[in-house]
Amino acid sequence: MSSWIELLTDNAGALASGFWVTLRLVGGSFVVAAVVGTLVAALRIAPSKWLQRLGGVYVETFRNIPLLVLLFIAYFGLRRAGVPINTWIAGIASLGLYTAAYVAEVLRSGVFAVSRGQIDAALSLGFDQRETLRRIVLPQAFRTVISPLGSITIAMIKNSVIVGGAVAINDLLKESRIIASRTFETEAAFFWAAVGYLLLTVAATIALRRLEQRHAIRR
Amino acid sequence: MGYLFDPDNWEWLVTANNLEFLLEGFLVNLQIALIALICSLIFGLALALGRLSRNKPLAFLVGLWVDVWRNLPVLLVILYVYLALPASWRETYEDAAPAFLPEVMQTGRVFAALLALVLYNSAVLAEIMRAGILSLDRGQGEAAAALGLSYWQRMRIVILPQGLRRMLPATVSQLITLNKDTTLVYIIAIEEVARRGRILTGFNFFGGVQAPLLQVFIIIGLMFILTNLALSRLSRRLEIRERERTGTMVEPVTGLEDQVVATLPAR
Repeated sequence: MSSWIELLTDNAGALASGFWVTLRLVGGSFVVAAVVGTLVAALRIAPSKWLQRLGGVYVETFRNIPLLVLLFIAYFGLRRAGVPINTWIAGIASLGLYTAAYVAEVLRSGVFAVSRGQIDAALSLGFDQRETLRRIVLPQAFRTVISPLGSITIAMIKNSVIVGGAVAINDLLKESRIIASRTFETEAAFFWAAVGYLLLTVAATIALRRLEQRHAIRR
Repeated sequence: MGYLFDPDNWEWLVTANNLEFLLEGFLVNLQIALIALICSLIFGLALALGRLSRNKPLAFLVGLWVDVWRNLPVLLVILYVYLALPASWRETYEDAAPAFLPEVMQTGRVFAALLALVLYNSAVLAEIMRAGILSLDRGQGEAAAALGLSYWQRMRIVILPQGLRRMLPATVSQLITLNKDTTLVYIIAIEEVARRGRILTGFNFFGGVQAPLLQVFIIIGLMFILTNLALSRLSRRLEIRERERTGTMVEPVTGLEDQVVATLPAR
């Protein structure tokens, strides 16, 4: 056990930098997922059939393709096709666009979960369409989607590992693999990587639970 | 854009047996997913029952086990199991693997991959099953107990048939995730479809044509999209059938990208 702690202190710098890279990767992808996810959800509840279908195609494509294959397309594929894309853009775009499909689905179901009566009541009270959406539907939808959005974020933290596995980004797992191959202390190196990821996912779980207690509606 | 629509690049796929090579690889993915799913279901049920057990220390330990494996990235688990697995285990598997499986499936690497996928997915499925069981009305278990059924009889005759049926759609969607996760075993050099794609595109000049990397991976992506779309169709149909059968709107237990979103009844 003492050798395990030694491995941590000896390689604290590398592990910390990997942890930081993972955090930036997750943060960047989160922004992409939130923005694109909202846009796609807007398409899916748009009044036009064609826009809805377009949103549907996006969701079904990005949800059913393995993230690894998406990364290969985004990085190696586009480079071969002559698009100068760097590892970070490819990584954040792939993870973000992949997660956006899930975000869009959750947002859509959140909007549909607001009962029809709420909208009718708001309209009959003299709110116009925009106000109804902004003041009545969206606040309630927000509260139902907190917990699924949290699960998606946790899944995204776990999926960030795949980015480091496919393209040259030295995230936490990559750093610990480098340490493992240098010191031959595979178990210890992976143990600390696992601890790092558990810290992130458990922290996210606790934050989510707090947020749920404050806002969420349980249906 | 020119590159994407260049007919030569698409034609390359059907020359020689490139496409066949990829499809064979995809078959390996499907087999890994299927075997891992069956093992995970069995192991996951045991975990779910353990976590629901009235033996508090056991329930706590099983809960800890489930939460740890569920919250680790799959890729990390695959790499770790592969590197940490004693060589003797892999050799035992290589000797014991049934001969009807394709050659790739008989290697020790696949054993490591299967073990890792089962460790992860059984934990996820255990949570889905637990949610399914907990979503049943309390009265079901109480009535069964009042009729004098023992714990195992209650589980076998009353609780599990209802609880597990509710989680069927969620299980199918977990199979979609599992199917996607099988590409990750490329990292331990198993020749499945993603690896084969890299092998194909690794040859820079193949009969004078540069391998169309983008096209190869788009085709691989399409293979997954088609199978997974079929699976989600199936999941939806199961859900509807269940609703018609019971005549009630049961709140389905849904697994969303690995995480259980079902709202457990407040206890």
